[in-house]
Amino acid sequence: MPVEVIMPKVDMDMASGKIMCWHVAVGDTVEKGDPLFDIETDKAAMEVEAPASGILQHAAPEGSEIPIGKAIAWLYAEGEEVGEQPDSFASVDDNKMPEQQPKAATEPAFGDTNLPPEPAPERETALAGDAGEGVRATPAARRLARDGGVTLAELRGTGPRGRVQASDVRQYLKDLDTVSARATFLPETGALNVTYSKRGEGTPIVMIHGFANDATSWAPLEPSLRHRPLIRIELPGHGKSPRLRIRDFAMLVREVRQTFDALQLDQAHLLGHSLGAALCIALADTREPRLASLNLIAPAGLGPQINGEALNGICKATRAESLGPWLRHLVADEDRITDGYVRLAMQARGDANLRAAQFAMADVLFPDGVQAFDLRAALQRIETPTRILWGKADAIIPWEHALQAPGRVALHLFDRIGHMPQLEAAEEVGKILRSHV
Amino acid sequence: MNAQNKPELRELSYAEAIREAMDIALEDDPSVLLMGEDIGVYGGAFQVTGDLVDKYGTDRVLDTPISELGGAGVAVGAALTGLKPIFEFQFSDFAALAMEQIVNQAAKVRFMLGGSVSVPLVMRFPAGSGTGAAAQHSQSIEAWLGHVPGLKVVQPSTPEDAKGLLLAAVADPDPVMIFEHKILYKMKGHVPEGYYTTPIGKAAVRRAGKDVTIVATSIMVHKAMETAEKLSADGIDAEVIDLRTVRPMDRDTVLDSVRKTGRLVCVYEGVKTLGVGAEISAMVAESDAFDFLDAPIVRLGGAECPIPYNPELEKAVVPQVPDISAAVRDVVQGRV
Repeated sequence: MPVEVIMPKVDMDMASGKIMCWHVAVGDTVEKGDPLFDIETDKAAMEVEAPASGILQHAAPEGSEIPIGKAIAWLYAEGEEVGEQPDSFASVDDNKMPEQQPKAATEPAFGDTNLPPEPAPERETALAGDAGEGVRATPAARRLARDGGVTLAELRGTGPRGRVQASDVRQYLKDLDTVSARATFLPETGALNVTYSKRGEGTPIVMIHGFANDATSWAPLEPSLRHRPLIRIELPGHGKSPRLRIRDFAMLVREVRQTFDALQLDQAHLLGHSLGAALCIALADTREPRLASLNLIAPAGLGPQINGEALNGICKATRAESLGPWLRHLVADEDRITDGYVRLAMQARGDANLRAAQFAMADVLFPDGVQAFDLRAALQRIETPTRILWGKADAIIPWEHALQAPGRVALHLFDRIGHMPQLEAAEEVGKILRSHV
Repeated sequence: MNAQNKPELRELSYAEAIREAMDIALEDDPSVLLMGEDIGVYGGAFQVTGDLVDKYGTDRVLDTPISELGGAGVAVGAALTGLKPIFEFQFSDFAALAMEQIVNQAAKVRFMLGGSVSVPLVMRFPAGSGTGAAAQHSQSIEAWLGHVPGLKVVQPSTPEDAKGLLLAAVADPDPVMIFEHKILYKMKGHVPEGYYTTPIGKAAVRRAGKDVTIVATSIMVHKAMETAEKLSADGIDAEVIDLRTVRPMDRDTVLDSVRKTGRLVCVYEGVKTLGVGAEISAMVAESDAFDFLDAPIVRLGGAECPIPYNPELEKAVVPQVPDISAAVRDVVQGRV
């Protein structure tokens, strides 16, 4: 039976998504977890992975906007008979929200046709916002989980018929605190997670996100960079990368370098933020011939100071209430960090093992609130065109570290912008980068 | 006042407290009069009016003929012309005979005449089972009248409240229905001297607790209290709320308690289905307190049958301490 691919819900307010591009042609085979298509919502662009392995059929046309939960394609097994092409896909009228638009009998939606037969109801239940659906839980447990940024699916219920009780959530949060405090976690092994947006042409941009972030943090900047293929590397213990135990900065560099080498690129632009920018410098030190440019946003590694308290706070936070105040340290304009943003960020940090891995990593890389690695000498050696972009209201790493850079490095310093110019000054940062990459 | 020279608290029975309230009302206000079947020389079906006829005479303590509809009609008419009748039914079940006057007249007149008149009428209903009076003399019908806008419906559970709510009812410009549990008439308790009122529409927290909220009415308050004391030995800390007023219901007290405990058990003697507990449950489910519930809401009410004559069966069809105890345990210990 073919597996239905549905328009996923990737953020909480999302009612529909636009299919930007398919990474796989109709009739081609895709492996589960491979990038399958890019979507754009009114807030962000995002890559979505294949929910299963199979042959792509009946893909909705690029550019079409489809309500969440509706079919956009089917994945068939090898040799499976392919059903007829559906008449049309469920679409979104530009002026109407999908819930106000009952499916008219005259306009058969894709899911209503009898082909392909019985589309499997498989859904990406792990997607943000979906978490907890179908879980048996008391209202009190749901409220505590919501407040604590915990997804109910992570919990084991001890109530009747496995119902999650308030006490289960409390115990879980307590355990998390203990885990975070001790920074013990189950180390994993394996290759780092890499995601792609292949729409652009020319020299690809390889992007490395910052500490306690993940590949989705590039979303605000991506509209400016889509003329190039985008390749996002996720750090160990971050996003969907394995929770490796990082022993020192050198090991982290090795992991990133291996991942970069495996991409087998002749030429690439490097773009990094904070710790990711430090890794870009380290990568450039040994892979310079393959680099077209080096783009560093608020890079680590150019001085000893770092706001260890904020890093510690972000790592330890197990609920939106405790994460919010620290996230607001990341920006100059605190209003940018809405409660909704914090909740989503906490949802992304819902995995206790992720938090523990990051806590351990922070302990190694930034012991006692000091940057334990120094890339000033490396930056002196590099000849690749390099620019540094930094907000002068950065409360995590002092922007004055930028002044350590040699004269040939271009400096772009933004007033009233914090540690995340790619979020707070996305347009301006995008413009600068676009004119160079 | 310190504990050493605190005077001994005066105790009265529930029936005596009601009689004292009526005495005060008759004394204070010449427009107050008592009406009902056999309330004069006989002293009332449950001897609640007692010898008040001797003190106030037959003009103010009025025996009415054996016609509830007629008596209630006279009472409504008297109220409309400025008197303040306190009308006694022999059994609350007989309200069925007087429903036209209660529901279609007393409750409606103020609304239908644009507020130009009111009906300062008090009706007293001896209610509930436990006396072996069988199907037609043992019901708890407060939910019938609680369904009617224009009526206020109270259920005192203590002598102190029986007096306070009756005096509050007399002072109220609109019809107030008082359901007095027959088994409670002999119950003794502290009753303050003189005039005071117990607010209509305000529940009382009889026992503070943190694990579960038991909202009970009338005689069930006492069963809930007994249950709570028993369960406290096992480490279950129940909060007991005496609802006191069925209409208008005290939303804040109930919701605050549920927000605190996260669990709700409703206990009432009226038939469970479509009863007072259904309203309490729905009130919680519709409110923000819903998000604090950590167990399904449980109702314990009367069985879906007429009250039987057989004394064992009569006990079996209304919630008893072991039933409440088992239900509360199940809720607190996560078995439902």
